[in-house]
Amino acid sequence: MFQAVSAKLAQTLLVLLIVSAASFTFLKLAPGDPVSIMLGSDYSKASYDQLTHELGLDQPVLFQYGKWLADFVRGDWGTSYITNQDIFELAVLQALPVTLTLAAFSLLIALLIGIPTGVLAALYRNSWVDVLATTLAIGGNAFPSFYLGIILIWVFGVDLGWFPALGFVAPWEDFWEGLWYLTLPAVTLGAWYVGLIARITRSSLLEVLGQPYIAAARARGEPGWRVVWVHGMRNVLMPLVTVIGLQLGGMLRGAVMTEVVFALPGLGMMVTTAVLNREYIVVQAGIMLTGLLFVAVNLAVDQTYQFLDPRLRRR
Amino acid sequence: MDAAVALTPEAADQAAGQAPLLEVRDFSLRRGKAVVLDGVSLALQPGETLGLIGESGAGKSTLAMALIGLLRAPEVQLEGSLRFRGTELTSLKEAEFRRLRGNKIGLIFQDATAALNPCFTVGEQIAEPLKRHLGLSKWDRRERAAALMQSVGIPEPRLRLDAYPHELSGGMQQRVMIAIALACNPELLLADEPTSALDVTIQAQIMELILDRVRELNSSAIFVLHDLALGAQVCDRIAVMYAGQIVEEGPSERVLAAPLHPYTRGLKSCVVELGSRTLVPIPGQVPPLDAMPAGCRFAPRCPKAQAVCGERRPLPETRDGRQVACWFID
Repeated sequence: MFQAVSAKLAQTLLVLLIVSAASFTFLKLAPGDPVSIMLGSDYSKASYDQLTHELGLDQPVLFQYGKWLADFVRGDWGTSYITNQDIFELAVLQALPVTLTLAAFSLLIALLIGIPTGVLAALYRNSWVDVLATTLAIGGNAFPSFYLGIILIWVFGVDLGWFPALGFVAPWEDFWEGLWYLTLPAVTLGAWYVGLIARITRSSLLEVLGQPYIAAARARGEPGWRVVWVHGMRNVLMPLVTVIGLQLGGMLRGAVMTEVVFALPGLGMMVTTAVLNREYIVVQAGIMLTGLLFVAVNLAVDQTYQFLDPRLRRR
Repeated sequence: MDAAVALTPEAADQAAGQAPLLEVRDFSLRRGKAVVLDGVSLALQPGETLGLIGESGAGKSTLAMALIGLLRAPEVQLEGSLRFRGTELTSLKEAEFRRLRGNKIGLIFQDATAALNPCFTVGEQIAEPLKRHLGLSKWDRRERAAALMQSVGIPEPRLRLDAYPHELSGGMQQRVMIAIALACNPELLLADEPTSALDVTIQAQIMELILDRVRELNSSAIFVLHDLALGAQVCDRIAVMYAGQIVEEGPSERVLAAPLHPYTRGLKSCVVELGSRTLVPIPGQVPPLDAMPAGCRFAPRCPKAQAVCGERRPLPETRDGRQVACWFID
């Protein structure tokens, strides 16, 4: 048990180190010289050298990387040139919670729609229910999310006025108001997942329902709904969690688009703004944070496996 | 009983002796165009054990699945009658049939490893019928599940209650299956090849266990087996099935000692016996369901077949205390 966990941790740390190196290299390769940007248009050779020395940019690259990494771990991520805001505060305390909330809410909506759709499609396979569900699933997958977002804003935000078209209210400040603001973005981002979840649920459930232990549950007198939702779905969770975990990266990518369309102050919005402003230090923070998220999700999925499948538990 | 009332045949049977626990009459099961079971009739008295013997594809397991209601319309088409304790099963509503399953009728599956849900502990799975049919409280369920595990020979049942199926050996898993099937003291136990997935050394133990438990509960049992000798050894009566029909049915000793149907004879002689140096296989194979011969289904493989066998189906006749379906019983 301990050995497995420590191996996993070592692997995780290695991934993080690679991400940090890549992200540091990105900063080094970025066009433009930070010293001249900071000094403005008019400066002397002496002040240029002095600032270079103060920023440690005259040190060997590896040394700079080490210092940067140490600062990063301490939470000292630097200050934005433009807003003068502390980047750790901007990224971790302001942008990250928005993105996480959006992702969680989207996933929830996708699960609430996708799982029942997949179950219905499996139970009534090859009937019109199945055809309809499969069509919707493929449609949700194929429809570009930025376009869906614009249509939703247009219809439900502007035309009908049921939901706010843009903006964000933190659900941890005002829960219902926040949910109301998040609905359209979450539907936009979740739509792609509905199809994925429905398809995986359908195919996994069909396979599980053919297993002898399902017939055995029926032979014990278990009612049909329990056979499907308890005996069957319990075994569908494994493949479902696997696929959802693998696709969470896709969700972060989709979140960038959704945040920009709906003007949500999340990570995606932060990185997009930073790219447009050529504020590479903020982009770098975004890269690091995204990398951390990926790794955290992977670890979480691994732990969930053991929870979901007794055969993988180590005693 | 009022002697003036004329007795119907069924009532006469009941008056003469015990009413059968299970009565299958002219029962057919079709899957689309394929006739999987064709005109099967048999009766089972309370406390009696019956062996359904035949090759794979003979319809033995299908009959068991139909008896416990896991194969019903609209998935398959049923004809004829299945009466259990006087209740017609073929027309029984699903909700009512469910009250029989795992309660009055228990089923032991062939492969316990596959028939136990990997995501639930064995204690939970044994407790399910106790909750569903007996409405026991959580505490009582646990107590009874432990007692059931004890009764099927699982050592330290209290420790094993929280074990998952994969943590038990194949033999222990089959014991758990038996405990589940017997949880509510069923009147009819169906055992579908209960030992064929197990090691030879365990097989006899498990068979013995099932028989012991069935006798103790005074239940009836139907064993689906492919081994004629084993069937004759453990069952009171034997029904030999071929291609969805019963070809010979009668008391075990007589069927085994002097089989009348050519197929039963073939089954007997293709088993290696001590002291016998001959091993005679039955030539050919069971015809596919969609290409059944019009007459006797065994005719193409039968050493005694004549012209009539290919044309008309022989109906079961009573001979020497048993039912045999053959044109040429000598």
